[in-house]
Amino acid sequence: MKPVWLIAGNFVREQRWPIAILLGWVALLSAAAGFSDLRRSPDDVFMMFQQVAVYILVFSLFFGASAIRNELRTRRILAVLSKGISRRQYIAGLLLGIVTAVVVYCLALGAAGSWVLPQAGVPAARFWFLLLGLLTASLLTACLALFFSIFLHPLLATGATMVSVGVPLLAAAIWKSPWAAVIPVYAILQGFLDLSGHDAALRGWMVLLAWGETGVLWLASAWLFSWKDVAVAVE
Amino acid sequence: MAAVLEFEEVSKHYGGGFSRRPPVRALDNFCLQVEAGEIFGFLGPNGAGKTTAIHLALGFMRANSGRGRMLGRPFGEARTRRRVGFLAENVALYHRPALHLVQFYGALNGMGGTPLRQRARDVLELVKLGSDAERNVAAFSRGMLQRIGLAQALVNNPELLILDEPTSALDPIARVIIRELLLRLKREGKTVFLSSHLLSEVELVCDRVGVMHQGRLARLGKTADLLHSREQTQVVARGIAAGAFPGAVASDGVVSFTIATASQRQVLEQIWSLGGEVVSVNPLKRSLEQIFLEVTQARGEGA
Repeated sequence: MKPVWLIAGNFVREQRWPIAILLGWVALLSAAAGFSDLRRSPDDVFMMFQQVAVYILVFSLFFGASAIRNELRTRRILAVLSKGISRRQYIAGLLLGIVTAVVVYCLALGAAGSWVLPQAGVPAARFWFLLLGLLTASLLTACLALFFSIFLHPLLATGATMVSVGVPLLAAAIWKSPWAAVIPVYAILQGFLDLSGHDAALRGWMVLLAWGETGVLWLASAWLFSWKDVAVAVE
Repeated sequence: MAAVLEFEEVSKHYGGGFSRRPPVRALDNFCLQVEAGEIFGFLGPNGAGKTTAIHLALGFMRANSGRGRMLGRPFGEARTRRRVGFLAENVALYHRPALHLVQFYGALNGMGGTPLRQRARDVLELVKLGSDAERNVAAFSRGMLQRIGLAQALVNNPELLILDEPTSALDPIARVIIRELLLRLKREGKTVFLSSHLLSEVELVCDRVGVMHQGRLARLGKTADLLHSREQTQVVARGIAAGAFPGAVASDGVVSFTIATASQRQVLEQIWSLGGEVVSVNPLKRSLEQIFLEVTQARGEGA
């Protein structure tokens, strides 16, 4: 497990500037919201939290899609994989790094939300549950993007992830079927976007399903990555 | 003696299939055994397959056919790599203080605590970067990067050290440091697999040498045996005219020339019959560069 933590810590260190910018943005917006008259404009506050929630999802997508490519392009992967770590541990380390970045962001968002949202009528406990959903949706998105990036260019991997997340949603909208739950990123995110406690039990199941899918994707990514020639130039 | 690194009819090709690039055969039924405790020089022109062979051994890629073993285990096992050190050509490392960087790579190999901290300091001293331990490697020169790369390869005290062009970016003083380090590792019983273009370096430190060409091992042998020709002999004689033998050169009162070893007896009798005196008769000593060119040009013409 130690090498996994090392890879994760290293990933967070390498991505410290994007993470710092995200945290700075949360701090800035929550300060702006906190010092405004929230009871008079709760919709603005909700919109702000929806916006930052979508940011972390987008960042997870980019973190996942570019993680391996960055290491291949710089050739830093060679010194790492020449050590006593397996490909599965390496992929797990990258995912754990993304989780760490998302958790840090969610904690910051949670702290800001616990201060701001009760003033706008949203209980803090509900907000923390929705944050767990956001974390899960982000992790599943990152894992999908990482999986696709093993055999696709990061831009194509980003597109493939968006299609994977969007097609079930589209199918659900067209045929009024529960297809959105197949890859439940948007279904989980919806709870965060309306900041409601409706369908909490259903969303709880979706969170569990998303964790399961993340596990399967991690195993599939590790297997696929074990066949990848990491020494071949990517440019 | 046990083989530490073993390739058995390994083939690897790039491209082809769904790729638009034409297939390139990097290794073609490549066979090699590197024995424990030796410094093995791995030579060949660019594109001969040296780096591919190294990357296969470390599990960075898989062979299309054939098999190989490293430290008695099949290629690609993470546990085996804990006992191996590797320095890549054009080493690329994370930007952080040198000491932390070496500790990071040591920790990836399962090391930790005080022994790791001490070992990291020791290897930085070994590569003469002790005074730069706290400096960020982002500010290092290419030669210093090469040395920090060597430090991370040595941090786990490896049984097998695989070096891909370790001295390419080094100045002459640093080269001497690395050369002495390799000889010290050999004395400690380590095996060193050294891929290099610097033939003079290889000639000085390697016990055996293999010359790769077009994905195959074109020449293999002990360095001393390869450097001394069996087919040709160098004769030095006194008291004869330089024109008596084709290609003879007169210098400092003696005449030296090269003959086919098979005709040695006949030539010596000829010198005596001319009233000359034989000063020395030795197998012709060649440089690795000559052997390298001989192998690559001969194969190139044959291809």
